Amino acid sequence: MSAQTAAAPLAFHRTLPPEEAARGHFYALLARMLNAPPDAGLLRDIASAPPLDPDGDAALAQAWNSLVAAASVMDAEAAAEEHDALFAAPGKAPVSLYAGFYMGATAVEHPRVRVRADLAALGLAPRSTEPEDHLGGILEAMRVLVAGGGGRGPAPLAEQRRFFEAYVAPAAGPFFEALGAAEPSNFYRRVAAVGAAFVALEAESFSLD
Amino acid sequence: MKTPKPASRRKFLLAAGLGGAGAAAVVATARKAASPGTPETAAAGAAEGYRVTAHIEKYYKTTEV
Repeated sequence: MSAQTAAAPLAFHRTLPPEEAARGHFYALLARMLNAPPDAGLLRDIASAPPLDPDGDAALAQAWNSLVAAASVMDAEAAAEEHDALFAAPGKAPVSLYAGFYMGATAVEHPRVRVRADLAALGLAPRSTEPEDHLGGILEAMRVLVAGGGGRGPAPLAEQRRFFEAYVAPAAGPFFEALGAAEPSNFYRRVAAVGAAFVALEAESFSLD
Repeated sequence: MKTPKPASRRKFLLAAGLGGAGAAAVVATARKAASPGTPETAAAGAAEGYRVTAHIEKYYKTTEV
């Protein structure tokens, strides 16, 4: 993917297998949707995507195809309003974007503390603009662990699995469920379905061998 | 899934439909604005029509180390 330069800090880049690249891209898309509403360009690109084969993972294929269809009739302004209505009102937002909320966090054991340490151990820095357990940030961190980025290569599966089981597995399921059920959810109901199906697929995949 | 789980994780992901070029290619463009507070760059040239390939190449160039 990226070109090698004489000063590249990594010894070499192996090309990511397509199924791993696809995992990274799903994390990227989900993170992107949480961090900000989709702009017109992104909606257009999703709407133009080919469907997933329903003979594969049926739940993911159905959810993805539904998102693609929704993207084709959604406009960016409406998506922005929806994103605002879901996430933006401080203290009153119907859906929390913070993993701690879904993990029953206490002040002492708050995932924010652990995420910061785990990210540091993985060579990643948390974003300065958000608490560390913001799910957009967590999914973006998974993207980097899967596909590399920010100057580091992909992480071994064991490290991916550890991060996934610590922060994604306990929080993403309840989060996407809450997102899908929230009153303002329309386009984001489809996002939630893709998120739920993808995270379930990831959990199953990590449990293999 | 219709078929029994393949022994290999890789086969499992491929069987699930990951690894298809289409869906993966499109969502790659989502990486353009992954962090909050990143100002969305005005659609460069407001491209008419669907040009995923040019988009992706341009994006990958901006991520070169």
